Amino acid sequence: MAIYALRKLAFFLGAVFVASLAIFLLIRGAGGNVAAIVLGKDATADAINALAHTYGLDRPLPVQYFDWIVNMLHGDLGQSFRTKESVADLVTARLSVSIPLALSGLILGLIIAIPVGTYAARNVGKPSGAVLALISQIGIAVPVFWAGILLSVLFGVKLGWLPTGGWIDWDESPVGAIRSLVLPVLSLGLIMAAVLIRYVRSAVLDVMNQDYVRTARAVGMTRTQALLQVGLRNAALPIVTIVGLQIAELIGGTVIIEMVFSLPGLSRMILANVAAREVIVVQSTVMLIIVFVIFVNFVVDLLYGVLDPRIRNAA
Amino acid sequence: MTDIAATAPIAPKKRRRLSLNATLVVGIVLTIGFLVVALVSFFWLPSNPNIPVIKNRMLPPFLPDHWLGTDGLGRDIVAQLMVGARTSILVGAGGATVSLILGTITGLIAAAYGKLADETISRGADIMLSIPGMVTALVLAATMGSGALTTIFALTAFFTPSFTRVIRSAAMSVLQEDFITSAKLYGRGKLFILARHVIPNIAGVMIVQFTLYFAAGILTEAGLSYLGVGVTRPSISWGMMLNEAQQTVGISSPLAIWPGLAIVLVVLGLNLLGDGLRDVLDPKLKRRS
Repeated sequence: MAIYALRKLAFFLGAVFVASLAIFLLIRGAGGNVAAIVLGKDATADAINALAHTYGLDRPLPVQYFDWIVNMLHGDLGQSFRTKESVADLVTARLSVSIPLALSGLILGLIIAIPVGTYAARNVGKPSGAVLALISQIGIAVPVFWAGILLSVLFGVKLGWLPTGGWIDWDESPVGAIRSLVLPVLSLGLIMAAVLIRYVRSAVLDVMNQDYVRTARAVGMTRTQALLQVGLRNAALPIVTIVGLQIAELIGGTVIIEMVFSLPGLSRMILANVAAREVIVVQSTVMLIIVFVIFVNFVVDLLYGVLDPRIRNAA
Repeated sequence: MTDIAATAPIAPKKRRRLSLNATLVVGIVLTIGFLVVALVSFFWLPSNPNIPVIKNRMLPPFLPDHWLGTDGLGRDIVAQLMVGARTSILVGAGGATVSLILGTITGLIAAAYGKLADETISRGADIMLSIPGMVTALVLAATMGSGALTTIFALTAFFTPSFTRVIRSAAMSVLQEDFITSAKLYGRGKLFILARHVIPNIAGVMIVQFTLYFAAGILTEAGLSYLGVGVTRPSISWGMMLNEAQQTVGISSPLAIWPGLAIVLVVLGLNLLGDGLRDVLDPKLKRRS
């Protein structure tokens, strides 16, 4: 297990390094003269040079990259050119929206997908299974933002039960905050569920055809008993992997859903700062998100090794 | 209780074949409809989708001149949907095609050119897969400027690693076949074997993957254009139409229905086509739908 964990750790660090390099080159390599853009057309050459000098933008790119990484490792994510706010503060302020949204969306997706997917697998070949497969196919084809629009038309405009968008902060009214999250979470969760149902269904189908389930049935367990007592642990492996892979998808969905419901989350902050050419803010925030996703995948890999000894020994 | 061993293998097989045909047929019908609409848009449009006609603002659907009505600037919805189909094809198929080519090259190198190449390419693909695409696309749009080309570029960056993985594993299983060994013994070079024996044998996988990522590309493009970082006018995208509907006339108008419906039908069609083709072209692969 130790060797397996070390290999995964090495991969994690390598992935973070490659990602940081890619992000840096993408943003800085194509960004033009950042200081000139930030200060606008009327800025004097002196002012531009002064700003560039203050933030070290006039140094060679490799030095800037190295500096950025060292600062991040010390917990300093940089600050905004205009407002001087630190990126860490900017990000933390937005997390109280983005994290509950993404996490509840994923949990809702799993709560729907695991029983429905299992049911669909047990009824494969029957009309009910086919109907579920079709519903999931349609769900996959629905763009998450359109699901958001339809839900807010139904529950916000027609029925008037929930706000169609906007945000009430947790400090102001926790109930209000939850009310503004219900529709976004529902849209995200339903679309996640449609994708996850397919994976749960095929994972359960695979397990149901295994010899050990047949053996369990032969010694007198019912289908349900065999599935719950023997099959579930084995079906858990592929499902855990898929959840890891879907994290990137989940974040993409969260980005869009925040826009649909005008929630002041991370993605709106990134978009606003992209437009304002706040390269340091964008670069560090995007890097944080990517590190988070790679970290989740790292944990999923470790979990996979714990759940299945064959994997850690083969590696 | 019926005898499971005797009935089980026969009954599901019959049903499977039935549902397989339905999947493929519905997929083909929807996809052909989509392609025809895009093709017709080059020769005939109800009216110019980009020129505002103020006196026709917000006409309701089902009028003789404007079948689905007009938007807040009096532009015909049908015309916009038709031109939007072109964008979906250009960007979706464009992204899928470039990814397929790059993914095939890298996948074949990983499968055939030794352990070092395999490790480098596979780990590289793993890293790229763990980077959230939507966030990267935002950054790309900011640095390269938005537009169809940027969107295709972004799609290529998300999709290529998945193609690499699939092509690599398909090619590896072909490379273990006996006819590859005999081709090697006959003195054929690696490139010849890949081009003559491996690619024809993985063509089915390639077609299926292309179809599924064509659909995924349309979804992603719609999302990016909805965010305002995808294609921009005079090009028209279904995602952009939804954004405009939400910004200008509110989500409860029928304008927020049609483009969404178009996306669902087309993506559903391509996904069904892909799944149907998988069963026909690649019977060894297990159905995942």
